[in-house]
Amino acid sequence: MSAPATAAAPQLPDRLLAELVDVLGPAYVLTSKTARYNRARVPAPFPVHRWPERVPDLVVLPGTAEETAEVVRLANAHRVPIVPRDGGTGLTDGAVPERRGIVVDVKRMNAVKEIDTDAWTATVGPGINMLKLNEALAPHGLIYPDDPASYPCSLVGGRIGTSGWSLVGSRYGHSRDLVLSFQLVLPTGDLIRVGDGGGRKTSKSSSGYQLKHLFMGHQGTLGIATEATLKLYPKPEAELSPFFAFSDYDSAHDCVRRLARAGVGVFAGAVLFDEWKVDYLRRDDEAYIPQPKDVRALVCAVAYGNEDEVRAGGRRLMRIARDAGGRYLGDEVSQGDWAARHDRYATPLHGRTREGQVAPMSWHCEDAAVNWARLPAVRREWHAIVERLRERHGIFDDWGMFCYTSADTGVDYLTEIDVGIWEQRLDDEAWAAWVDAKRDIADVALRHGGSISACHGSCREGEVDLVPLELGGGYDVMCEVKRALDPHNIMNPGKYGLHRAYSDSGGGSGPGGGDVGGSGEGVR
Amino acid sequence: MTDRDPGTDSGPDSRTAETSQPSPVTAEFIEDWRNAAYNCFSSGHKFCREVCPVMQETRNESWTPTAFHANVVAMEQGELSVEDVAEDYVNCTQCGACELRCPNTLFTGDFYRFRTRTVDLVKQMRALAVDNGVHQSGYRRWNLLTDERGHEPVLGATPVSQEHVRDWADGLDLPVGGETVLFVDCEAAFYRTSLPRAVARLLRLAGVEFGLMREQWCCGGPAAEMGYREQSRRFAEHNLADWRASGTRRVLVLDPHDYITFTEDYPAYFGEDFDIEVVLVVELLARLVDEGKLVPSVPVERTVTYHDPCRLNKRKGVWEEPRRILRAIPGLTFHDVDRVTQWSYCSGAGGGLPVEKPELTAAISGTRMRRAAELNVDTLVSACPWSERPLSEAGEEHAIDVVDLHELLAESCGFDVYTGPGAGPAAAGGDGR
Repeated sequence: MSAPATAAAPQLPDRLLAELVDVLGPAYVLTSKTARYNRARVPAPFPVHRWPERVPDLVVLPGTAEETAEVVRLANAHRVPIVPRDGGTGLTDGAVPERRGIVVDVKRMNAVKEIDTDAWTATVGPGINMLKLNEALAPHGLIYPDDPASYPCSLVGGRIGTSGWSLVGSRYGHSRDLVLSFQLVLPTGDLIRVGDGGGRKTSKSSSGYQLKHLFMGHQGTLGIATEATLKLYPKPEAELSPFFAFSDYDSAHDCVRRLARAGVGVFAGAVLFDEWKVDYLRRDDEAYIPQPKDVRALVCAVAYGNEDEVRAGGRRLMRIARDAGGRYLGDEVSQGDWAARHDRYATPLHGRTREGQVAPMSWHCEDAAVNWARLPAVRREWHAIVERLRERHGIFDDWGMFCYTSADTGVDYLTEIDVGIWEQRLDDEAWAAWVDAKRDIADVALRHGGSISACHGSCREGEVDLVPLELGGGYDVMCEVKRALDPHNIMNPGKYGLHRAYSDSGGGSGPGGGDVGGSGEGVR
Repeated sequence: MTDRDPGTDSGPDSRTAETSQPSPVTAEFIEDWRNAAYNCFSSGHKFCREVCPVMQETRNESWTPTAFHANVVAMEQGELSVEDVAEDYVNCTQCGACELRCPNTLFTGDFYRFRTRTVDLVKQMRALAVDNGVHQSGYRRWNLLTDERGHEPVLGATPVSQEHVRDWADGLDLPVGGETVLFVDCEAAFYRTSLPRAVARLLRLAGVEFGLMREQWCCGGPAAEMGYREQSRRFAEHNLADWRASGTRRVLVLDPHDYITFTEDYPAYFGEDFDIEVVLVVELLARLVDEGKLVPSVPVERTVTYHDPCRLNKRKGVWEEPRRILRAIPGLTFHDVDRVTQWSYCSGAGGGLPVEKPELTAAISGTRMRRAAELNVDTLVSACPWSERPLSEAGEEHAIDVVDLHELLAESCGFDVYTGPGAGPAAAGGDGR
């Protein structure tokens, strides 16, 4: 049975509804249309007229891990889909219900349970936002340096479900490094804790299987994080974020490698803007300080740490960038642009149709992981794909590319192409063309030896088709793990094509307990 | 926190029937708001969420600025009706934090003079609900009583009336009418009477000539905030007529809520015809202190922090003058929290929230007071009478006094603010705005 085409009233057994109310109290079992419609969306563009397809049957707001576990146990017993929702800020539809069911919204679980100033850890509920956590850590001189573009609104639990990217990750690591351990409700309702070994606050263990990574980045298909213990760092004394202009892309491309390989201890990352990105900022971002026309690429280098170390390391980074042909853009641009990195990522609210008309547009970002040497080729092919898309459908706009160093070596990069989409005009034909383009974009990344996604996940339409190709035998293991842990396919069914795991069993959940795992359903 | 009872949701058929042909007023609303709503929907990044005082307490994504905009998109699509959404819009104090924190405001604001207008959207959606006959029981009762009495029912079971609207000024011998009048909001006129009394004495001390209105009614702002537009306009017309009849050219306003009403609602009602100068008392007092016309010289031995009233700081950008006054008062130890950090602070007392959800107002005030308690202060100073009642209640737990800035200045200028006629909140158990 495929997902119904309309968002009808809740279609859950009355008994389940009553049981949920018993567990959570009536105030935290939401069935109103607004509660359900507003938990059907994430920022990734989707045809507005198809919104009702993704509306869940109801929403629950558990306040504790035990309540969450009980909700999952009930859903498992009734074979009703569960969709975990944290910030709902992800870009691969992880929090989007594809088969109705129950959205488990964890935002109420946002307590700071412990700040351990000896072990430098914080233990928190999954519903806490990093900015709010850092407000609580400030009096202790500590930070939690997980810094995605969505820093002011994404939540710790969602960072676990996505295995997210930190913009300063080359200095402190990404979510997978910063989350030491976490508590998780399995699809059967059992509560476990995973980390490096059994210690809540240890960062390296060889004891047993390393389960932490298995339960990060699963997009809600393997469980719901209900508590996390996080690694803290001393709040850095100094920040340096010099921006450099280049007259050609190749010099800028060379520069980021040199910066990342310089062995500067306080280096937190480098960002490469290509000429499409510079053109786009010049054209449509009024907050961007325009650069002369001969500027065709930009590089930003970022350093955090003790003041004397940042001063020394910064001098070296400045020298490297200048030697590579970069022109320093000055303190105002450098400090302002970096300080605005979170606010800017969703703006400037509009783009251009192929005819040049200004239109309100949503932002979509493809985010492959690509090795440094392949960046120029991937870039050329990606822009060509978007250009072909634009030729057919003028509602798409090419907003250029960013590349971010992944690790302090600069070997591989988060490689991002931003596409503006006039979502109000996104009809079925344009959507189909977009899905094809996404598949092509993913294919380019794989052909160049990369991964489809460095940070968002890869379970949206289009790209998800190629995940078995990317992972090979590993994908088969994914299916086996999924089926072993979630025998009735209740956890976020439909994601990553994992219904394949159930193709010979007829098991699985869906409206009326139907066989969402049935064959012939395609790869959605 | 409440949600509609499980199982009472109308099915898709009734929804379609309701929304396939929206009322003309609904269609007009959707046309007015569709692009603004889409500007938020298309961004969808929710930076507003963690600064929203309601969201910070309830953690309910249905009650966020993002949802308030997305609902309009869903209405345009015929998926939701005003009946479906109306109740959710109760959950807003109209503090304006979300507008400031919106990346769209921050990044296109300068160039396009663009600002996300969530507060206006909430007001207009509430008005749309009323226009479609969808009422919230608390709002309806509150506005009915206001309409009957000319003033908000701030004293609960104790009726307020025109007869008593100037009682706070007993013994001060203030004239009626004149070129400049002092407008005193309902909460201050009937409940926190020590506040207008302090203001009147300070103004007189500094030589500012002013009178009181001949017949002052509620400013009409609360009715506008809760969606009762026609009533709001009627009250505005009355007050303007009263000013005109007494030759008033200038209105002094001590309440930030009134300041919003007079500088935003009245010009919208009357256009060019509204030629009354509106003066915010706290700005005037700061100037009088600067000019040496008021000299705070009596030490006030308190350790204080300042609560930025939302309508001053977030809605009007007034944050500097109150701090200037505080710094001029001898004896105070002042632990300031900067105005941007305070974007996410609120008393919960605005936008009609306490009328429908007093428990949520109390929770928001409780959070504000816990933040004050972390500073080890004995006093929280506010400059908004509406915030002071719930904050005072929340302060009891921490033994933190809530003092009004105007009153504090009066005390330092030698007035006995807290005893005698009009001292302190009138003894009556009412529910605040």
